[in-house]
Amino acid sequence: MPENLIFTNKEIGFLRELKRQKVEFMLVGAAAAALQGAPVVTQDVDLWFEDVKDPGIQTALRKSSGIMVPSFGQNGPTFAGEAVKLFDIVLTMPGLMGFDEERKNSFDVRLGSVNVRILELGRIIKSKETIGRPKDLLVLPVLRDTLKTLRHKKTRRKPARTKRGR
Amino acid sequence: MRLSGENTKKLCGARRLSLNALLKRAGVSKTAYYHLIDKESVLPRSIGALAAALGVRPSALLEESDRESRRALRLLEAADRIAGSDPSMDRDNIRHTLLLLEEKPIDRLRRSLLRARKPDLHQ
Repeated sequence: MPENLIFTNKEIGFLRELKRQKVEFMLVGAAAAALQGAPVVTQDVDLWFEDVKDPGIQTALRKSSGIMVPSFGQNGPTFAGEAVKLFDIVLTMPGLMGFDEERKNSFDVRLGSVNVRILELGRIIKSKETIGRPKDLLVLPVLRDTLKTLRHKKTRRKPARTKRGR
Repeated sequence: MRLSGENTKKLCGARRLSLNALLKRAGVSKTAYYHLIDKESVLPRSIGALAAALGVRPSALLEESDRESRRALRLLEAADRIAGSDPSMDRDNIRHTLLLLEEKPIDRLRRSLLRARKPDLHQ
């Protein structure tokens, strides 16, 4: 069992507050891949928002003592504050459709005391293939093997009960 | 209780292993293997005597000594099965994925975040 020193109630509290504010978001990137069983490492947890200007994000940030630093230059908007610094804001997912269309390729996962929506591994792979940065290309073989392992397991047992995208 | 040569060969076949390859991997000599095959019973005589006195099969008296090793073996067998179906896959990736799938999602995430913060990860 890993130490519980990272991704604690602070971060879970922020996700819960986003849901309470009815903000539409899903976890994407390497963190979402790790949640699905991929043996990968990641520095942050990518949150893809349907609308980054949703006022509910600001409310959730206030309640979590965090702020959103606006984009400047080549840098997109980021979060600052103890409870939210692990999260990165994702505005678009290269190679994929829009947020609303990709919702059908997502499902809910229990993260501590809150259910959060995460993007399916196959779509994460598709996006990383499109981005094609060296760090994405390095991790792709691991993600593909994880996806094949998951599919192999699914054919041998009933699929897990998860809430699919609407 | 005998060592079944037929069962051993069947299990080898399922894993696409020759008997020679199995013996090499297990570090068991051919002499030791065929010696075991020839034995009427691979169990100590006293276990047979205890079982006979109780009127049960010797296997009823035995238990796996290590639950973790049994679990690890099951996982390795599953990894072998999957790798056997697609030789392009990396066996370690399969094994690590199967291990992580036995954990709660939040613990998988914590592992991936913790590992990224290990200072000696790339040394």
